[in-house]
Amino acid sequence: MKKIFPLIFLLSVLLSCKKELTIAPISIGTTETFYVTQEDFVQGSNAIYNALRTYPDRLINLSETRSDNLYAISVLGVQLYDPINAFRTDAVSNTYVNAAWNDNFNAIYRANVFLEQLEQKGSVVASATLRNRLQAEARFLRAFFYFDLVKYFGKVPVVTKPVTALESVEIKRSPVADVYKVIIDDLQYAIANLPTTYANTDIGRASKYAAESLLAMVYMARSGPTYNIEGPGLGLNEWSLALPLLNDVISSGQFALNTNYANIFSYTNQNPSVNKEAIFDVMYQTGLNPVLGASFISLPVPDAYFTSVLVKPAQLGGSGRPTSYDLYNSYENADARKSFNYVLYFTQLGIPGNRPFLKKYLDPTKVPAVITDWGINFIAIRYTDILMLKAECILKGASGSQTEVDNIVNQVRTRSGASTMSNVTISQLLAERRREFSGEGSRWFDLQRSGNLVSVMNDWITVNDDLKQIQPVVPNWIIYPVPQAQLDAKPGLYTQNPGY
Amino acid sequence: MYKLFTSIIGGDRSCIAFKLLRVMKITIILLTVLMVHVHASGLAQTITLKADNIPLKEVIVQLQNKTGYNFIFNSELLNSSKPITLNVSNAPIESVFKLCFNRNGLSFVINEDEGTIVLSKLITSKTGISAEIIRGTVVDEKGEGIPGVSVTVKGTKTVTITNNNGAFTINVPDRTVTLVLSIVGYQSKEVLASTDLSKIILKEADTRLDEVIVVGYGTQKRSDLTAPISSLSAKAIEERGLSRVDQALVGQLAGVNVKQTTGLPGKGFSIQVRGAGSISANTEPLYVIDGFPLGQSTTDVSGGFSGGNALDNINPDDIESIEVLKDAAAAAIYGSRASNGVVMITTKKGQVGKTKIQFSSSVGATNITRKVDVLNGDEWIDRATEMINAAYVAAYSSRGATAADNEAKRISIIGTRNVAYVLDPRWAMPGRPGLQVIDWQDEIFRTGLGQNHQVSASGGTNNVNYFVSVNNINQEGIVKATSSKIYSARANVEANINQKLKVGVNLSPSYSILQDPGVEGKDVIFHLALSMPPVQEDSVGVNANAFRNNAYNYSVALNSPVAKALNQIGQTKRFRTIASVYGIYTIAKGLTFKTSVNIDNSQSNISRYTPYTVTGLLSVRNAQTTVNTSGSYLTANYLSFVNENTLNYSKTFKGDHSLNLLLGQSYNSFSSDNSTMSSVGGYTHATIQTLNYAAGVRGNTNATKNLLLSYFTRAQYNYKGRYLFSASIRTDGSSRFGANNKYGLFPAGSIGWRINEESFMKPLTFISDLKLRATYGVTGNNSIGDFGSIPTTASYGYVLGTGQTAVIGQAPNRVANPDLRWEKSTTTGVGIDFGVLKNRITGSFDYYNRLTTDLLLNVSIPVVTGFQAYLSNAGSVRNKGLELELSSRNLIGKFKWTTNLQASYNANKVVSLANGQSQLLVPSVYTAVGNTVLRVGEPLNSIFVVKKIGHLTQQDIDNKVARYGVQSVGDAKYEDFDGNGIIDANDRQIVGHPNPDYTWGITNTFSYKGFDLRVLIQGQNGGSIFSLLGRGISQTGLAYIYNVSGDYRNRWRSPENPGDGVRGKAYSTYGNIVNTDWLYSSDYFRVRNITLGYDLKQIVKLKSISTARVFLSAENYFGSDKYYGGANPESANTDLSGNGNYPQSGDYGGLPLPKMLTFGLNVSF
Repeated sequence: MKKIFPLIFLLSVLLSCKKELTIAPISIGTTETFYVTQEDFVQGSNAIYNALRTYPDRLINLSETRSDNLYAISVLGVQLYDPINAFRTDAVSNTYVNAAWNDNFNAIYRANVFLEQLEQKGSVVASATLRNRLQAEARFLRAFFYFDLVKYFGKVPVVTKPVTALESVEIKRSPVADVYKVIIDDLQYAIANLPTTYANTDIGRASKYAAESLLAMVYMARSGPTYNIEGPGLGLNEWSLALPLLNDVISSGQFALNTNYANIFSYTNQNPSVNKEAIFDVMYQTGLNPVLGASFISLPVPDAYFTSVLVKPAQLGGSGRPTSYDLYNSYENADARKSFNYVLYFTQLGIPGNRPFLKKYLDPTKVPAVITDWGINFIAIRYTDILMLKAECILKGASGSQTEVDNIVNQVRTRSGASTMSNVTISQLLAERRREFSGEGSRWFDLQRSGNLVSVMNDWITVNDDLKQIQPVVPNWIIYPVPQAQLDAKPGLYTQNPGY
Repeated sequence: MYKLFTSIIGGDRSCIAFKLLRVMKITIILLTVLMVHVHASGLAQTITLKADNIPLKEVIVQLQNKTGYNFIFNSELLNSSKPITLNVSNAPIESVFKLCFNRNGLSFVINEDEGTIVLSKLITSKTGISAEIIRGTVVDEKGEGIPGVSVTVKGTKTVTITNNNGAFTINVPDRTVTLVLSIVGYQSKEVLASTDLSKIILKEADTRLDEVIVVGYGTQKRSDLTAPISSLSAKAIEERGLSRVDQALVGQLAGVNVKQTTGLPGKGFSIQVRGAGSISANTEPLYVIDGFPLGQSTTDVSGGFSGGNALDNINPDDIESIEVLKDAAAAAIYGSRASNGVVMITTKKGQVGKTKIQFSSSVGATNITRKVDVLNGDEWIDRATEMINAAYVAAYSSRGATAADNEAKRISIIGTRNVAYVLDPRWAMPGRPGLQVIDWQDEIFRTGLGQNHQVSASGGTNNVNYFVSVNNINQEGIVKATSSKIYSARANVEANINQKLKVGVNLSPSYSILQDPGVEGKDVIFHLALSMPPVQEDSVGVNANAFRNNAYNYSVALNSPVAKALNQIGQTKRFRTIASVYGIYTIAKGLTFKTSVNIDNSQSNISRYTPYTVTGLLSVRNAQTTVNTSGSYLTANYLSFVNENTLNYSKTFKGDHSLNLLLGQSYNSFSSDNSTMSSVGGYTHATIQTLNYAAGVRGNTNATKNLLLSYFTRAQYNYKGRYLFSASIRTDGSSRFGANNKYGLFPAGSIGWRINEESFMKPLTFISDLKLRATYGVTGNNSIGDFGSIPTTASYGYVLGTGQTAVIGQAPNRVANPDLRWEKSTTTGVGIDFGVLKNRITGSFDYYNRLTTDLLLNVSIPVVTGFQAYLSNAGSVRNKGLELELSSRNLIGKFKWTTNLQASYNANKVVSLANGQSQLLVPSVYTAVGNTVLRVGEPLNSIFVVKKIGHLTQQDIDNKVARYGVQSVGDAKYEDFDGNGIIDANDRQIVGHPNPDYTWGITNTFSYKGFDLRVLIQGQNGGSIFSLLGRGISQTGLAYIYNVSGDYRNRWRSPENPGDGVRGKAYSTYGNIVNTDWLYSSDYFRVRNITLGYDLKQIVKLKSISTARVFLSAENYFGSDKYYGGANPESANTDLSGNGNYPQSGDYGGLPLPKMLTFGLNVSF
């Protein structure tokens, strides 16, 4: 008996000396167990695509809401988007501005990790074609996200490989031109290595034409004026660099205008394999676990519409963001886009009559049980857009005729029953784009590129700001402020954009 | 008495003081007195006995059985006894006893009344024969017999103890001897045997300094402590009939801030020791029950204990004492988990002696302490009228609208009957036909009944002692349908296997059922009761917008909180077992080895069910019915396994040097797993609540684990009880930390100087005790997630393919940190303990300075890393504080009055943040911009909002003062802090801090004859609340479809009638920005407890009943606070930041505190 206790003591000491302090997570994967097989790399690639899922919401919150498309001043309490819509300087700490920076850089991080791992361990991917394709996809996506950042923030720090916390506090914002350099480099690699089409199960991945379209957009954005700020426009007039890329997409024959405007956004016609307008989609599906549905649909829609008209649970819109009267009124009554895109519903205090809201993506029969689980894709690159961008390049001096421009615009207009036009000017083209792409998030960037953003916005504010809430726009506000959280993370590392 | 036993039973525990050793000796003697109880029908006068060389011990057993007498003796007496051989029949018992005992050198005394026979050593007097048997009674100052007093014949080993009535019988050689009487809790006394022994009075001792305090891995006499430790004894708990242990700590201990963060029954309190030192990591203390360090209680992001609290299901009546190790020097022996203090809980043990049966029972009624002031029906109509008129005029003035327009005119102008612009005509009608005024708070609250019953039995022999108890607590909450039921049992058994080996088991199973349909938090029952308009359709009443009823036209379409309370289900069942098995082996004199194996296993399940009848809109309910019903079932299992092994050596050299050494090792493993199942797509049945009738079910399971390996050593030394030294080192390895930094080292040291023991102090007789202390210690904090340092991946799926199908995606989800290590607190402190006027006034005063460095902080980093923050060790926070504990025996005569006062001051400050950052803005999910800042040089989590400075006048507008949005006359006027002419988020400034500067508590105890009265008042000052509940019920321009806080009745109405300046005009359309409108002082004082007790023994003189007390206790009955934006200044129920990086809990619908009136009875036999 007496000898047992020292023995137990000894045993327990010995037992606990084992290297037990290293415990692998039971319910969580680790990087040590990942990037080991070919399937891991496919999954790693999928995770970069996953980062696209916040892209449409971002467009609604930062492009549509900021622009003259929405008059989103709420009279029922201050909303998160108020600083965006009313050009308030407290946008520096705005949730949506933060998200634009954070989500894009998180996406870029995923691409960077993926590319680094592919370089180190990519040999497990047996086929060189697949390896190159995965690399090209990652670079396409990285360019996509950097381009998004440039349009919102101008200068951003550039990283093309994963960086540690210590390294990150040394990396300053790069001049816009340098950011574009990385974007163009990535896209050129993508164009050279991406396939033109995919097998059935891979539909939705970026194709060569998606990369060409994006590169054309990049050149066009660079071509826009600088407004004397460090924004996306560099005044480079590269319209002729964009045009051949657009022409290549158009002449591929893979895409076509849908004959019916509503059909472009149909829940049943949405897959890129059947929707000829879809050059690059952000893909969603409803009813999956975990949820892989979309949430952008309900952002401009007042909750009350769901609860009292559709008799469904409230969604994400809160008090809703009305579409500007002047946009709504700019459609001809015969224009199918008017009735398809909007419902007159709102009554706002202090503003007589009903206001319209955007219901473009809203199919009342498809309201999901979970509010972020809508089952419709978002067309990030649409064929109509490519055509109209071509018209814009021509009007800006790239080779081509006024007839080509008029044809493009009239194809678009007649599709939805609007009258035809001739000798379409650049401002008419922009106005048509505003009607065609309402709710698709291109308006703010169209204005950036046009060179008339400040005057267009201020004219619009003068006429439409019934509640006298919106500050007169200054050029500095063409881009957003660097989120305060980023300035605070390492004081002095970034300087704030002027005007904030 | 209990204290002393604790020290003996926990044999490995340190007892360095020689005084204590002396006390121990006496106790050992007491312990080894064997008492055997036989319930005989009658006592025999003659006996028949046959024995053939039988050991004396067995003969005694036979004698006992045959005579019915109980034998009381010291087992040592029998060590050298010779076997007995005899054969007698019907012999007088005395002669038989003589045969058996005198030959063994033993004398005996027969006590007929008691039915006992006391054996003692035969004393050979000068005449050679033990001569006399004397009897006596020992009583206290009230004249009541004191049981258990040891009576020794001075200079001999003859000893006996007093019975239940204080009486004793002892053999003395003659009447010239002196008797020494001693018992813990009373001053020892010597009396001459020749004097009158019928009423020997013992005076109560001042036991404070001799009190044995539980310290980590041992005990110490209070006088020998070198670090400040606050303690609380069982009495303070038992006498109140409490249902939770943590409740007993409220307001009792300096530097220990106990917050009652919820008004629901059965839920844990939040405890903060000496301020908050952490930002991202947890700040709850470590709980140690009978030496078993429990898994840490961790507050969830909402400020509750959804993962369980260490004190859940622990029966307060089982508690012997609670000690809080506040100072690093004391706590450092628990190393890595000690930064937030260590709460040591000791449960009751059996005492040697007759079995003691204790029964306590109480019943009580619970009510709310107060309601939140919101507008009543008339006031709500008044505000709604004002707002609707203003909105109507604003919208249609161009068409000639005026506020005086009647319904018909308005409809003709608007074209429709829009409730936003048209008043309900019934508001103006006498008696308001068809409408009903409802006080929603009255409708959800009720008087809750509570019961608490407990039976315990304890006792022991010199070989075994035991304490067993069963308990049932049944408490209804103040909100309908809320309740807490707990069933618990305990068995503490300890046995001496032989003289060197002792083993013990502490076993405590418990089962609890909590009912909470979802009362506290944003947009749930209590919040709804504040926000629902007090005017509703008469036909619908309290079932507004529930079942088949619509909402009132002028009311927000929220569902009736009453219907929700009565129809939603939220039930948590928990089965918890805490079990410890230990063995203590005495290797050599003074050297003991202790090993223990401890398990804390809790298994809980949570069922939730929300029927469609109390959700959404009527149209949706009618159209979709059970599709909108939802339910879930969660299980959570938790297992903590701890094995500890310690070697303890204590020795006193030459009487002056007292040394105690401890060497130990500990293995802690904590693992948990849980599962979740929830309904998808509603239910297919209208009444079945279980998930088998869910349209679909979604589920998952999760598991996690962490491990802690520790080694520790401590030396305690004192010289003549005058110079006291203590030093300890602990090293902990935790699986939670980075590969490069698994282990941490936690040293501590403290010194004490008992000045009053010095000869130069002797002339200063009014000073009875004076001690100076100085401490230094390093403690750690590891309460972060289990795998914080490892680069983990997460699932990021996507949709691809012509079939739009899900594909799996995976990517890293955080920045790895292989260097992640302990959060470290270095505390230095000085203190003084004093006693004056023969210890009539005693107290202590402490100063501490705690610098917490290497904060486990989610450091914000540039997002080019991919992430906004990563868990790192960065930044530091300093807590400085003063603590005062004062105890005064104001009156000590027949009428006794004692005052205990404790007060503490704490100030904390952010000293540094990561990367040279000067501030970190804590985000908020509920406000567009955050309202909390971590700024260097300012208190932790400072409140950072725009300051409201009045209301705008026309003159202000003409002068173009800074405005927020479209503000007009009568709207709030804010301070343009950055001076740029516009009010926006950049005008935020620090306006307060959440932690109170001062916390205090005063307990007054009175006793007169059989009555005792205890009054505990407690409070805090200097903190602020930024209340989102306050925002929810008082934000500017809040639509009339909600109810608002009562201060709107004195709002700004016109330039001529500007109100009391607190609230602006009702009809504001500019929205709101975080501002001082919702800033409230968290100052309060509260009479936490008044207990009036009466000792029934004064009137019931039954011998079989040893104590009997009835009491009436009032908890939380009176008090006052300044929190007008909510019900309880300490409420925490909602995750305010919505960001796990900077967890911040606060009030968004917390209940008022319950007040409770309890009547109870405690009886022991």
